[in-house]
Amino acid sequence: MVSQPLLKELRQILGKANVLDSAVDLQHYKYDAYLEERRPDAVVFVHTTEEVAGVVRACDKYGVPFVPRGGGTNLTGGTIPSKGGVVLEMVRMNRILEVDRANLRARVQPGLFNLDLGTHLAPLGYQYLPDPASQKAATLGGNVAENSGGPHCFKYGVTTNHVLGLTLVLPDGTVARIGGKAPDASGYDLTGVFVGSEGTLGICTEIVVRIMRLPEGVKTLLAIYDSIEAGSETVSAIVAAGMVPATLEMMDQPVLKAVEEFMHCGYPLDCATVLIIELDGLKDDLEIQARAIEDLCRAHGAREVRVAKNDAERAALWAGRRGAFGAVARITPSYLVCDGTVPRTALPQVLRKVAEVSQRYQLQIPNVFHAGDGNLHPLILFDWRDADQKARVMKAGMEILELCVAVGGTISGEHGVGLEKIDAMRLVHGEAEIRAQLRVKRAFDPKDLANPGKMFPRPEEVCRAA
Amino acid sequence: MRPELGGLRERLEAALGGANVGVDPAETARYAVDGVSPALTARPGSQEEVSSVMAACAQAGAAVVPWGGGTAIGLGNPPSRADVAVILDRVDRIVEFDAANLNVTVEAGMRLADLQVALGKERQFLPLDPPADAKATVGGLLAANSSGPWRLLYGTARDWLLGMRVVLPDGERIRCGGKVIKNVSGYDMNKLFIGSLGTLGIITEATFKLLPLPAARASVAGVFAELSQAAGVVARVLDSVLLPEALELLDPDAVTLLGPALGLDGTGYGLAVSLAGSRETVERQVRDFLELFRGVQARATAALPDQRVAPAWQAIRNVFDLLPGVPSARITCKIAALIGRTVDMLAAAEALGRRHKLRAAVTAHAGSGIVRACYLVGPETPPAEVLASGLEGLRREAEAAEGSLVLQEAPPAFKKLMDVWGKAGEAFEVMRRLKADFDPRGLSNPGRFLGGI
Repeated sequence: MVSQPLLKELRQILGKANVLDSAVDLQHYKYDAYLEERRPDAVVFVHTTEEVAGVVRACDKYGVPFVPRGGGTNLTGGTIPSKGGVVLEMVRMNRILEVDRANLRARVQPGLFNLDLGTHLAPLGYQYLPDPASQKAATLGGNVAENSGGPHCFKYGVTTNHVLGLTLVLPDGTVARIGGKAPDASGYDLTGVFVGSEGTLGICTEIVVRIMRLPEGVKTLLAIYDSIEAGSETVSAIVAAGMVPATLEMMDQPVLKAVEEFMHCGYPLDCATVLIIELDGLKDDLEIQARAIEDLCRAHGAREVRVAKNDAERAALWAGRRGAFGAVARITPSYLVCDGTVPRTALPQVLRKVAEVSQRYQLQIPNVFHAGDGNLHPLILFDWRDADQKARVMKAGMEILELCVAVGGTISGEHGVGLEKIDAMRLVHGEAEIRAQLRVKRAFDPKDLANPGKMFPRPEEVCRAA
Repeated sequence: MRPELGGLRERLEAALGGANVGVDPAETARYAVDGVSPALTARPGSQEEVSSVMAACAQAGAAVVPWGGGTAIGLGNPPSRADVAVILDRVDRIVEFDAANLNVTVEAGMRLADLQVALGKERQFLPLDPPADAKATVGGLLAANSSGPWRLLYGTARDWLLGMRVVLPDGERIRCGGKVIKNVSGYDMNKLFIGSLGTLGIITEATFKLLPLPAARASVAGVFAELSQAAGVVARVLDSVLLPEALELLDPDAVTLLGPALGLDGTGYGLAVSLAGSRETVERQVRDFLELFRGVQARATAALPDQRVAPAWQAIRNVFDLLPGVPSARITCKIAALIGRTVDMLAAAEALGRRHKLRAAVTAHAGSGIVRACYLVGPETPPAEVLASGLEGLRREAEAAEGSLVLQEAPPAFKKLMDVWGKAGEAFEVMRRLKADFDPRGLSNPGRFLGGI
């Protein structure tokens, strides 16, 4: 698919060392955190916007697909070059270009790890809020592509709420800056359209984000329950009482067990679920709010409520939550992470049905969920070497998504569609909706070269009809 | 009526009933946009009827202009064509208020103020506060992407919209987003339609995320001899942990107009602050702000109790309506700037009015980078060219600082003197293609948007 003349041009643009095309090198770029694989035809390391534009122009000239790759943490196959072509490895574009405190913005390159931005900002007294659990290894460019969430989005919103401008390399190789440090640029909100487009509309090479002051105070509570329902009911009660905590996270017993065996964070092992509640903001009412929440937890059946006494205790609780996927990975060789989202009050009902799915398909399904925003992550455990198991896993996953849609939810809260959910798109979108989205695709990428074969059933037909 | 529209009236009457189709010039003239009167008005009574109207207009090749409350109808270039005004005031129901999940689904023609009353019954609210909120509709607010002082703490429509329904230019209905607060199932189509000014279709329904009403609200304000004193407070606050809901900077004309509403005596530059939250955090912030005001030797300060907060901010949002006298024309603009340059842009906009001895007022959402300026022009003021050239100067200054200047309201003749939107930007070609893909025949609010889209 990638011809010798294209390879020659790529080497001219980037230098020989930055273009890989040997079979053994390409092996490393054929997978992400999803369950499928496809080897690219070439991998290139890019360092500047101009280099990215040069590579994309060359791909455009030869009609070859291209896929940007950040940390490769994507859970739905978004990074897998399913139609082959060129993978652009973005992680060397990892600089913080500017922290502009006077204007409350930072300008960064897309290969920067999410956590590295946070670590850089914290000593200055600032933060960048979207905090996907994979933040150690997930890049901001990947966060933009997937519109990543994280535990803090119940109060602070997801990536799109914090990205104000982008430098794009469009699929024909043109460079365009959209949005910026100032608000409300004239014209359509292309920044908003691009965030969450999974690499299918082009590549961002620079990102302008909002930074905010670190809160004056933070308080973290751990409520321990003997039933999952009691935990979810507490969440609804907290919201009904007019409180908006920064996070409301839950993990069930199998996840807790895996986390404790792996990381020893101090979670109890004999309970059904824990709820991690974090409050932040001005310190004046944090104690009062924490007491009110403690009362609500007990009123709804919490057998114990612990308050993190210091930063170390707080950090341990979060390390456990952030490490949950990794810990669960120790149980079986593979797992499929579901990412359904439902209206918060439907959580108990959906969780009961997920348990039924688990029984019916004879598969273990531990659960981690962002209870505040109704985003659940059932982890379906299996062994990828067993074809029959894998087939059951895919069916069970689809059934869980159907459950979510049936109660007014959707098929993905923060992991994207990628390869995994192309068929599930029809659960939430009719033909008219898919056609409308493909019009957007066509306006950006008339030749269907940017990460083709993702998200939509058959975009190539629409693009060719243009 | 243009001959090629023959038959459209009958089709619309068949779809909506005769009473909901206007042909009388006296009626259609009420829906003129920048002096262009539509030939027909249509008042659909449901989202399905909006779809029928759009399909009939598409079939007849008629250009449509969507109308909500008309509060932002001045925004945009004069239309290149306007055959049918589609008035949404009958599409105004609450479809579902899901208080337990903090969201509401509402039809586009509902007025924001009415929606807030309904939400208030469950002690919730939608934290968007555009100007003219008593008349502005949900659909209009989204189409024009209107915002107000609250955007400092809460952001804008794009941060609260979870889903919408849109009727595309050919009459097809689509749904964007959904009801849940995290949703990455396909492109984020909500963002495409927010601020698209009806050029890609008509928004007929919106689902918003909501907030619980704060337990307490208070407002404090100060008057300062020098702009630098007020600016000093703003800078201190933005560099602090304080979380005001709104920080509105006022030029001396705005201070004079707003004195009674804010309980302020004295002349000079003003800073009004809105605080919301628990009683403890509100009281603490009131104290902190009054101390900051004293620290820079404010001439006067005032603290408003809860029940006076809402009327005071209503007055601030609509301060231009308080300008006295009957002008022959009102020119308002919105400058978007870097947060750190907001004060400079307010000063420049104020100086422009003073230089030409215009009745004017300028306010800024300090901390959000938005300056709003209003100038009244009439027979006794310098020719329009002078003001236009002054505004072009402001625009250059804003653009040099990565921002923009957009005319919000001006007579059609004035719009001939300067572009409404400013420069088109580097991705304009993508915008043009989006318009061509969604509205290939150019029938949806044509000509009004950036670059003549």
